[in-house]
Order: sequence, then C-alpha cells, then structure tokens
Amino acid sequence: MAGEIPPGPPSMGQESIPFWRDGRVLGVLAQIAFVIGFIIVAGWFVSNILNNISSLGSSQFICQDGGFSYRCAFDFMEADAQFDISETPIDYDPSDSYWRALGVGALNTVKVTVLGIIFATILGTLVGIARLSPNWLVSRIALWYVDLLRNTPLVLQLIFLYFSVLLGLPQIDSAIQPLGLPMFISQRGVNLPSFEFMPSFAILMAFIILGIIQAQVLWVILGRQEELTGKESNRLTWAIISFIVVIGIGWIVSSNETNQAVLTPASMRIREFDDFEQIVLNRLDVNQLNDIASDLEEGLITQDQVDEAALKICVLRDAPSETNFTSQLRRADIPYEVKRTTRQDQSTSSFIEGDCEAYVGPTAVIAAERDAMDNIIAATPEDDVVNGGAATMLQLTENPIRLSIPRIEGFNFVGGWKMTAEFTAILLGLILNTAASIAEIVRAGIQSVSKGQTEAARALGLSESQRLRLVILPQALKVIIPPQTSQYLNLAKNSSLALAVAYPDFWNLGNTTINQSGRSIQIILLVMVFYLSISLSVSGVLNWYNRRNQLQER
Amino acid sequence: MAEAKTLKTTGDNVIVCNEVQKWYGNYHALRGVSMSVRSGEVIVILGPSGSGKSTFIRTLNRLEEHQGGDIIVDGITLSHDVRNIAEIRREVGMVFQQFNLFPHLTVLENITLAPIHVRKWSRERAEEVAMKWLTRVGIPEQADKYPGQLSGGQQQRVAIARTLTMEPKILLFDEPTSALDPEMIKEVLDVMRDLANSGYTILAVTHEMGFARTVADRIIFMDAGQIVEENTPDNFFHNPKEERTKKFLNQILNH
Repeated sequence: MAGEIPPGPPSMGQESIPFWRDGRVLGVLAQIAFVIGFIIVAGWFVSNILNNISSLGSSQFICQDGGFSYRCAFDFMEADAQFDISETPIDYDPSDSYWRALGVGALNTVKVTVLGIIFATILGTLVGIARLSPNWLVSRIALWYVDLLRNTPLVLQLIFLYFSVLLGLPQIDSAIQPLGLPMFISQRGVNLPSFEFMPSFAILMAFIILGIIQAQVLWVILGRQEELTGKESNRLTWAIISFIVVIGIGWIVSSNETNQAVLTPASMRIREFDDFEQIVLNRLDVNQLNDIASDLEEGLITQDQVDEAALKICVLRDAPSETNFTSQLRRADIPYEVKRTTRQDQSTSSFIEGDCEAYVGPTAVIAAERDAMDNIIAATPEDDVVNGGAATMLQLTENPIRLSIPRIEGFNFVGGWKMTAEFTAILLGLILNTAASIAEIVRAGIQSVSKGQTEAARALGLSESQRLRLVILPQALKVIIPPQTSQYLNLAKNSSLALAVAYPDFWNLGNTTINQSGRSIQIILLVMVFYLSISLSVSGVLNWYNRRNQLQER
Repeated sequence: MAEAKTLKTTGDNVIVCNEVQKWYGNYHALRGVSMSVRSGEVIVILGPSGSGKSTFIRTLNRLEEHQGGDIIVDGITLSHDVRNIAEIRREVGMVFQQFNLFPHLTVLENITLAPIHVRKWSRERAEEVAMKWLTRVGIPEQADKYPGQLSGGQQQRVAIARTLTMEPKILLFDEPTSALDPEMIKEVLDVMRDLANSGYTILAVTHEMGFARTVADRIIFMDAGQIVEENTPDNFFHNPKEERTKKFLNQILNH
C-alpha cells in the first residue's frame, strides 16, 4: 500500500490554521463579497432607469402603428429632424430623419477627432523635443506654452479662440491673404486650396497601383542582379523613375477619357469648346479675348456690357464638374457667370427656363438629363421653353485631379476647402490643448531612455536627428504610447465641448434632438454608445501598435 | 592580421593632447593633460576612481567638451565645428562600461545601424562585415537575438563588434570589463588582446592589471585630473618613479 501514495507536494498542516486566517478561504469570501456588491449597484442602476422611464410615460415608446412597445423606442428617429445644420459633410436637409442628422453629427465629430489627433501629435512631439533643447529661448517658450495650456480650462480656451480670435478677424471683403498665398483667413474661418478628385481619378488610381507593383518588381529584379554581378546599381532611382513614368502614362490616359459633358441649347450651335469663345467675342464685337481688358480701360466697352455678354453657366455647387468647367473657362479667359444650385433638377429647370446657356456634369448624368429634357419639352407648350429643341452635348477633356483654389465671389467663398470659424475654433482648441499634454509625455519618454544610449549613438557617429529617430524615439515610444492613448481618448471626448462654439458635432446635434423630440434616454444611450465605440477603436488601434512595439524587445 | 588603417599623423603622433582642461561647474576635472599616441600603440590608462581618466578619453571623441588646451585626432583639431566632430567620431570607436547596446534592435541591427546610416553602406555589405566581426568575437550564432537575451560578456563582445564594423582607426575602451561577472571578464579581455595584436591604436581605461602588464606598450597613471607618470609596463609595475604611483600599486596589489 505504501507504493500507492501519489507523487506531489507534501501537504502542509492546513488543519492547524483557523479559517479566518486561511488565505484561500479569505480569497473566496472576498470574491463573494465583491459579486454581491456588484449586483446591488447594478440593480440600483437598472431600477433607476426603469423608474425614470415609467415616470416619462409610455408615450416615449409609441410605435408607428400607434401601439406601445419597448421595441419601438427608436422609431421616432425616422421622423423629420426639422432643424438645419451649418456644416454637413454628407447631403442633409431638414426634411431628412433624425438618424441622418445624428449621422452628420457623428461624421463631424470623427472629422475633428481624427484631424485633432494627427496635428496634436505632430505639434506635441515638436514642443516636447523643444522642451529639451539646449537653446534657452526655445526650451523656455515650450515650457511657457505647456504651462499656459495645461493649467487653464479647455472651455475657456475654446471660447477665447472662437469669440476673441476668430470672430475678431476681418470681414470677408477684407479677408487676410497671408504672404499672398491662395488662402483666406476671415471671420468665416479659413479657406484653403484643395485637390478635387474627378471621376476619372479612378483610372489614375489604377495606374498608381500598377506603378507601385511595377516599381516593386523592378526593385527585386535589380536587387537579384546586384547580388549576381556584385555591382551596385541605383535601384531606388530606377524604381522611382519607372513609377513616375507609369503615373505619367496614367495621367495622359485618364485625361483623354472624356467623361465631362456640357449641355448647351441647340440654338447656340456649339460643336466644340472654342465655340464658347466665338460666341462671347461676337456678343462684345471684339476680335480677341485679350482685347476686352484694354477696351474696358479705354472705355470702348463698359463692365455692364461684359457682364451681359458673359457666358451664363449652371453648375452643381462644389461638384467636381464645376471646378473642371470653370477652370477651363478661366484658362481660356472667357468671362462667365455661374449659377450654383444644390440639386440636379434645379439645374435642369434653370436650363430649360433659359437662365443659363451651358450646364455641366458627368456624361452619364447629362445624357439622362437630355432625354428627360426632350420629354419635358415635348410635353410643355412652346412658349414656356426657351432653350427648346434637342440640346447639344459637348465633351471636354478632364484631368483626374484638379487644384481648386478659393475665391471670393460676391459675399461667399467659392472653391477650395472651407474651414468654418466654428470648426477652426474647436479643432485649434483641441490641438493646442492636447499638444501641451503630449509634449510632456514625449519629454518624459525621451528622458526615460538612458544617457548611455545617446553616448553610444554619438560615439558611432550618428547625427543628432539620426540619433533621435533611430535610437531614442523607438525606445521612448514604449513609454509614450500608454499615456498618449489616454490623451487621444481625452481629445475624442473633449470634442463634445464643440457645443460651446456651436460646431455641430454629435453631442451638439444629440442635444438638439433631445430638446425637439423629448426622448432623452434613447439619445443619451446613443451618445454613450457612440463615444464608447470611438474610444474603443482609438485604444484598440494604439494597443495593437503598442503590442507590436513591445514584441520587438525580445 | 594587420587590419588597422593608416592614420594621418601630427609629427609622429595620431593623437596629440596639449594642456587639456575640463571643468564640471566649479570642479576642475582635467588639469592640463598633455600626452600623445603613436599609430598602432596600445595605451592603458590607470588611476584611482575620480582621477579623470574616463573623462579624459571621453574628450577624445567629444562625448565631453574640453574647455582649454588642444586635442588633435587623426590630423583634425577638435573644436565646436560639428563637421570635424562627425569626422572624428567616424574614425574613433568607443566601447563603454555599460555596453550601451540598443535594446530595441537585434544584435545584427545594432551592428549595422551606423555603417548603413553614417557610412552609407548597402545593407548587404554592412551585414557581411558585421557577420565577419561577430565571428571574430566568437558569437555569430547570436546575430538575430536581442541584447536582453545575451549574457554581459556576450553583450560587451557585440558592442566591440559594433564598434569595429565601423572600421575605426582608433579604439577607446572605457572600463570595458568593470560591469562584468568575473568569469566573463576573460572572454572580453581575449578579444581586446586579439585586437591589440592586430595593430589597432588603442586607448583603454581599465582596472585589469594583468591586461595592462601583458598588452600595453605604455601605461599612463592619472590622479586628480593630471598625468602623474608615463612608463613602460615593466618599469611601471616594478620600478615606478613617483611616490603616488607606489602608493596606488601598494593599495591594489597587496589587498
């Protein structure tokens, strides 16, 4: 029997310990106490919500068929929002549903959060490095910046930025153009040049992908050859040249792809783009477009005459086709007058009523419009239709990417990228405030790397920027990322202070929806889910990055 | 095995120091150090702690700035001219007491970092030279490990390979064995002895008397920021000139 004793650690005399001193028993008791505590707190929350719901009344849960059910809690979101939103990244109209209104808010929040995180990181890193600069003035300025921004409330900074700085800027007619660059700073915010991606950009994109693959293949082939022959070839140069050549071909091919169409009345007899020029010349009775300016100076013609003769065109507001057509007209010096509409059918009716002589859009759309127009024309009495008869369609060359430069037309900015004063205020506020905290995190991270690393890097002859980039920052990142993550989360959540500067973010529009619909519980629930999912995605990405970084250690 | 490259000389010497002064605030760390080193010479610097010997060799590649006197290395006068500093650092390699390997890079990446970014070698060439030196210090199989996975002696040998891959003309050793366990000191000293026999110009601060006695061409003894005695190993250990040297030798040899 003695041989059947199972192998294992010898049991210690547990009989001698009373249970209130036995660590294992105490552990179990603590667990039980925690679970009971948790159930009590959670139960209180749930009963509180249920009480509030019942005191708000069952009208909160009206279904479309008139019945009551908790399942219909969000049915009211289908109704018309009936409020206007000042900034809409997607099409929105007050007759759209609350869902769409909150969707606009969500996009606005995401926009300001993503841009805020990117720029706060850049600025914060620079300030953090500046804090460590041996230059007394640079490090002092960085220190003052950090102290000022970290030790005052963000709301105060936002209100100061919005009311004192941005609304204090000049009116649109005297907008500031820094250094004569094609950008404007005014009370309306900041207007920057932007790139417009035309429909044919899809073709160029295909060529870009092809170019990348091509360059990679060339890189590998040349690398093999280097190994075989033992001679160094300029692999990088060749790969870049081949990439540029492919993109160049892509640009030409996609530019010749003519899918920009102009609809003109048959009566104008326009066959090609140059005919527009001829028409304006005939109206003004001059030989050359260049003469217009000099004739104006000499008083041979008046500005009113030029305005009268200018080509009247209809476009969709901020559509690629607008940038495309107007920039061609500007290049040809043809005077024109734009009528912008927000919807396709408005342009069509303006065109039929004779408000404009040319209407521009993608070929497919224009072709469909023309067919529709033929029907309208056939169905309406002759007198109502000015631009009668079959319309002519004109194909234009379209570049895949066009630079859109902001201009002042009347009392509005046209073209380019518009940053409203509200957006600028919240974005700038978030960047400046978060960057101050990031700067301290970056400084601490850099200082956490031992001095020996700097000495080794210097002794090996690495330059100061190489030392920072290749040796210090990769090690500092491990210390930087965890606190950096909470700064990013702070930024995302602080973006809800947009309410203070009337920027239509998710929380702002959520508030409006609560006031209008009276459904506070549902909206608060949505707001919580929204910010929670933003926070979880941000920390998810950073945790993944951190894990990848940690793995490199060993 | 003469692999060391030829050096530009000033007179007969590749390093010339003249009345070098250094202060840390009010503390006078180097009080007029003058010495010179000929090409291929192996010099061991001895002295009690706080004597300024580490500070002195760290002024030679400007890890410490000297505030008076002249230092001429490889024909270049050290000054605030950053281009001169960069040029000298390319030709002067240094091995530290605490190894100072980069913990986020593998052994091979540690070694090839500077050749690729400073010497502008191709990765292939850098890796080839790196592997040659790793083999020479006896640990080619550790190339893909991270420094944290190696023993102290192995780390110090990687640090030596990292320095040598840059193909320096002069090697500075700053107490290379002081942070090592006793049984690992030998493996590092063997590598250093091998290098000394290959014709490198070497300046080493160390407490290894055996190494000083057998390898050094000349011993420099420093105390209180000054050179007290310069002598051949034989004379230094058996027939020292200065009273201070005798006291020092008594303390370290008879404990």
